[in-house]
Amino acid sequence: MMAVWNALPALWQDIVVMLLLLAPSVVLGGVVLRGFAPWPLVRAILWRFRGASVLFVALIAISVGMGIGLLAQERGLRQGTAQAADKFDLVIAAPGSEITVMMASVFLQPSDMALLDGVTYNEIANAPNVAVAAPLAFGDSYGAAPVIGTTAAFASYLAEGHITGRMWATSSEALAGTLVPLDIGDSFTPAHGHGDGADAGAHGGAQLTITGRLAPTGTPWDRAILVPVETVWEVHGLANGHAPERGAQIGPPFDPAYFPGTPAVVVRSDALWANYALRSDFTRDRETMAFFPGAVLAQLYQVLGNIREIMSLLVLVTQMLVTAAVLLGLFILSRLFRRQIALLRALGAPARFVFAVVWSFGAALLLAGAVLGLGTGIGAASVLSRVVSARTDIVITAPLGWAELHFLAGFISVTLILSLVPAVMVLRQPVVPSLRS
Amino acid sequence: MGPSLSIAGLEVRDPRGRVLLSVPALDVPSGALVGVEGPSGAGKSTLLFALAGLVAARGHVRWGAQDILALGSERRAAFRRETIGMIFQDFLLFEELSAADNAALSALFHPRKARAGLRARARENLTRLGLSGTGARNVTSFSGGERQRVAIARAMASNAPVLLADEPTASLDRAAADRLIDDLVTFVRRTGTTLIAVSHDPRLIARMDRVLRITDGTVSGDTTPNTAEGAQ
Repeated sequence: MMAVWNALPALWQDIVVMLLLLAPSVVLGGVVLRGFAPWPLVRAILWRFRGASVLFVALIAISVGMGIGLLAQERGLRQGTAQAADKFDLVIAAPGSEITVMMASVFLQPSDMALLDGVTYNEIANAPNVAVAAPLAFGDSYGAAPVIGTTAAFASYLAEGHITGRMWATSSEALAGTLVPLDIGDSFTPAHGHGDGADAGAHGGAQLTITGRLAPTGTPWDRAILVPVETVWEVHGLANGHAPERGAQIGPPFDPAYFPGTPAVVVRSDALWANYALRSDFTRDRETMAFFPGAVLAQLYQVLGNIREIMSLLVLVTQMLVTAAVLLGLFILSRLFRRQIALLRALGAPARFVFAVVWSFGAALLLAGAVLGLGTGIGAASVLSRVVSARTDIVITAPLGWAELHFLAGFISVTLILSLVPAVMVLRQPVVPSLRS
Repeated sequence: MGPSLSIAGLEVRDPRGRVLLSVPALDVPSGALVGVEGPSGAGKSTLLFALAGLVAARGHVRWGAQDILALGSERRAAFRRETIGMIFQDFLLFEELSAADNAALSALFHPRKARAGLRARARENLTRLGLSGTGARNVTSFSGGERQRVAIARAMASNAPVLLADEPTASLDRAAADRLIDDLVTFVRRTGTTLIAVSHDPRLIARMDRVLRITDGTVSGDTTPNTAEGAQ
């Protein structure tokens, strides 16, 4: 059985799970409604209690929307961050926190870090199978855009070669990320530091000109200005990585004697296996640490997975409470039309018909709330994605996935089964006192 | 012809065991119009509900050969569905539905094949009761008399041979009540329906073939009003 299941494509597995989750409600509906046509009465009752009905539907929609929105958003966040780290196969830095280095190098979050020297950098750059070994230099900004020093090879790799305009040729030229509000030909002076604490006059003599614009990457690098790493060193009054007689050189190789240091080196190798060899080679006590940002993210997801489970549990509990409130509300509402229910019995309606009317009333509210909740969840996830994207520059999309559909199907089935309870309770009410009330 | 009614040893008690109604014996022939009068709380409505099998009771209430009290809850409902129509003082219509939909309410829980016939009969009943052309109107726009006519059309949609009426004119003004009495009596006589009507309305009682008086849960009087109509 498991072999058959495992042989199914993922899409089919999702469809089968969806159908299994929906099956109880379909079977229940079929059994309860078989042979009856209660809809005119259900519509009449819905209309009579339209205010309460709208309130119940809204409550259910918010509850379901919250669950769907959170599920979709969490997945979107994971995919977005994973995509942002996609270009960063291996990062080598001084020993410390992998998360701190990853946040600085992949997500451009400013942080103080120890530096690797020129000897180490050269060892990395000259290691077998290394295609790109890009030193990074942080610390400056222009407005909201961080100014990052790196190599032309890495800038080109980051944009997959798609650069409007041209690559920098001198240390006074720069490339703008796709979201940077500077046009080709614009000049700017980088400030030292970031945000409100940035010192705009610290690099007063530096005047950089934009020569090209990087294609969108969907990462925080879209809001960055990339400059030759030599530029960052020079504006800070440091050696620029090259001996004085080659002071105009831009890009590697660098002279270890004139290498001011780099907090991180992004490495791309020719082959996947080589990444593992490099990680092993450059994981050294008190010298260097090498890590895959993707693996660090996976560890983070694992930790966040527990939080996700707690959040899911909270969502589930919230929904159970809302469902309980709605079912209780249904029972209270049904007390209001108990005379009509008693009338149906007096006219000879089978108990199962009365049961079908009350259950259908609850089912209509729950289904309407669930469908509206689906829309609400998609909308909420979309809004949240935009907000998070705007704040982190990580492109986050949270389209509807099977997890949300499974969640919705499960919610529908469980609540439709639970709404049997008020229907049973209504049925147990005596007819004559209701007729006389 | 509908079933005749035969009651033997009928006794209804409240949950504390107090006797609410006791009818040792009573026979009503098919097609008769029977009025039930008496002071409030005497047990008139209880009698009506016992005849419909809606209360727990001892004894026998036989409609034809069928003792409704011997049936289980669902079989009693099925029996009412086929045999007994009921109308009430405050009509108990679904205000959100049209007159036609109210009149054909029982079509919703009858088998699919019977639904078209029920709807046609409901429309026909509305016409007979002077409500032709009003079927599509929502009953909220109806007067009290019109609403009770819709309730009668609903009660008779399944061609039930018995109509039990609980204070059918109590919510109507005099003129409307008189018109309803005329229409109701004409309707049941034309269709041969047995009518048992609980009422305080002397004009309705006067149109009955026979009048039972209920006092303290017992039948204290069984008379025939002296009317030409009743003698027909």
